[in-house]
Amino acid sequence: MKSSSGIAVHLDGLTKRFGSLVALNNFSLDIAPAELVALLGPSGCGKTTALRILGGLDVPTEGRIVVGGQEISHISANKRNMGMVFQAYSLFPSMTAEENVAYGLRVRGVNTAKRASRAKELLELVGLSTHAKHLPNQLSGGQQQRVALARALAIEPSVLLLDEPLSALDAKVRTQLRDEIKRIQREVGTTTLFVTHDQEEAMAIADRVGVMSAGNLEQCAPPADVYLNPINVKVAKFVGAMNALPGILTSATTADVLGQSIRVRGESPNGSKEVRILIRPEQLGLHLAAEASEHTATITGHSFLGPLTRITARLNRDQTNLFVALPSAQAMNFPIAASVAVVITADHALIEG
Amino acid sequence: MKLKLRPAHYLILLGGALFFVFPLMAAVEFSLRTNQGKSYGLANYRWFLHQDGFRPNLFMSFKLAALTAVLVLALMVPTVVYTHLGGAKWRRLIEFICLVPLVVPVVSFAIGAITAMPTIFQSSPYELSFLYVIISLPYTYRALDVGLSSIPLTTLVEASRSIGASSRHTLQFVVVPSIRSAVNGAIFLAIALSLGEFTLAVLLHWDTFPTWINNVSQDNVLGAISLSVFALFGAIFIVLIVALAPNIRKSEKIEESA
Repeated sequence: MKSSSGIAVHLDGLTKRFGSLVALNNFSLDIAPAELVALLGPSGCGKTTALRILGGLDVPTEGRIVVGGQEISHISANKRNMGMVFQAYSLFPSMTAEENVAYGLRVRGVNTAKRASRAKELLELVGLSTHAKHLPNQLSGGQQQRVALARALAIEPSVLLLDEPLSALDAKVRTQLRDEIKRIQREVGTTTLFVTHDQEEAMAIADRVGVMSAGNLEQCAPPADVYLNPINVKVAKFVGAMNALPGILTSATTADVLGQSIRVRGESPNGSKEVRILIRPEQLGLHLAAEASEHTATITGHSFLGPLTRITARLNRDQTNLFVALPSAQAMNFPIAASVAVVITADHALIEG
Repeated sequence: MKLKLRPAHYLILLGGALFFVFPLMAAVEFSLRTNQGKSYGLANYRWFLHQDGFRPNLFMSFKLAALTAVLVLALMVPTVVYTHLGGAKWRRLIEFICLVPLVVPVVSFAIGAITAMPTIFQSSPYELSFLYVIISLPYTYRALDVGLSSIPLTTLVEASRSIGASSRHTLQFVVVPSIRSAVNGAIFLAIALSLGEFTLAVLLHWDTFPTWINNVSQDNVLGAISLSVFALFGAIFIVLIVALAPNIRKSEKIEESA
């Protein structure tokens, strides 16, 4: 499989309104050649709208799209040379897997021999060379999405658009196919926009993750940055689990939380010194406490998650519930109803807005 | 879930089958009577094959049926696809227009054709095809509408467009093959309606196979019955061809992939 160098994408101030509803609000994003960017957000946040606008399936109310230095805002979908894989199974039911893959070349007038050769090459790439003559209803969901991926790649697209392609699959197949998509994308080097509402999927597959909320792109950064250094409370709360612990601001950049001083960023929403500080479950540790105090908590539950156990505890100070993620073997040391001291291992945190 | 048939169900099925089959059997039996009912043979069939106008009128009806089928598909497939994709607001109106021929008498169509059809069309028997398209609309619309409702049309069209296909390619290679049964149903209805239509042809003074049957059978009752049997089984034969063609293609594919 030959590797393409990828093409840069520049989305500039895209806005999409459906009547009074603003689905996408001044959305701007640059995607580097061969980069895989995942748009992550809850349902209705505008991520699919952004992808459809890039693919030409929706027309933006405002803004422009530049691909490879050329503005394509007014070019119709079938002339944009983009490959797309949809959330719903979208193989053409009357065509075999091979015919589906070759379809984009067929409508481009490529001769039969070249089409067959390219289809074979792509089906090998997605591991389905033995299923070339199968009709879609003879393929499993995962196989259908692989063929759809091969079909999208067969035309050597400028940009690959993946609209929640794994959401209809079961967990095991989803993980396998996710890794395959990543491998294939690296191999062919096609610039890719991947839309998902699954945080783990976005983190695992993308070079950068763009977190969206209510039509806005809140942050677009490498997965670790988005997780460890969320730009605002919306991102912090959407990506991963988050505790909101009571704290008192001791300066503009420090706060006292559970008797410990940590660096904070953000502002108190109402100017008060009493604030809530956002800290992830894995940034908290526990020690058994000899006696209950204002800074201790009581264990209220365990959720076994395999390698980790999620412990639920209630703070004595104000009955705030908090979650702590500990290795399962270690979590056994903290039975229900035990009094524990909570230790913050994070060196900085966000103030809840 | 598989329906378990009880004795009462079999009785109903048998009754229905007899109701349908008895008249057919009787017609076939009558059509084979020769020598004033004393023996059986193919004399009545030989009789109509040698009547003047058999072949020209039969071919004329076939040509009208073929033209009707082509016109119906050219008009209705893009229209119904449009109502399913972006034109939902037009759907009720189009459905209403397509149902109107059910309540308008055929005589009205004939008068309308005489008064409003351009002269160039009125000078050719093919004007009948345009009218056959209209009277077949209620049935063809429903067949195509049901077919398109059974597939994820929007996704398939968007998938096709996204990899570079034009609207024509999408219709030709994706939509029509995906609703092959519905398209075949629409073709069958258009053909069956054209082959059997009598009133419009008579009122507009054109000779077709049904009008020819009416003319030649005035003085030969058994000949008329044999013609009816011929026309009926001929229509069934065409239906079988239309219905089985896609299945042959499908089974070929399955055999290849096995």
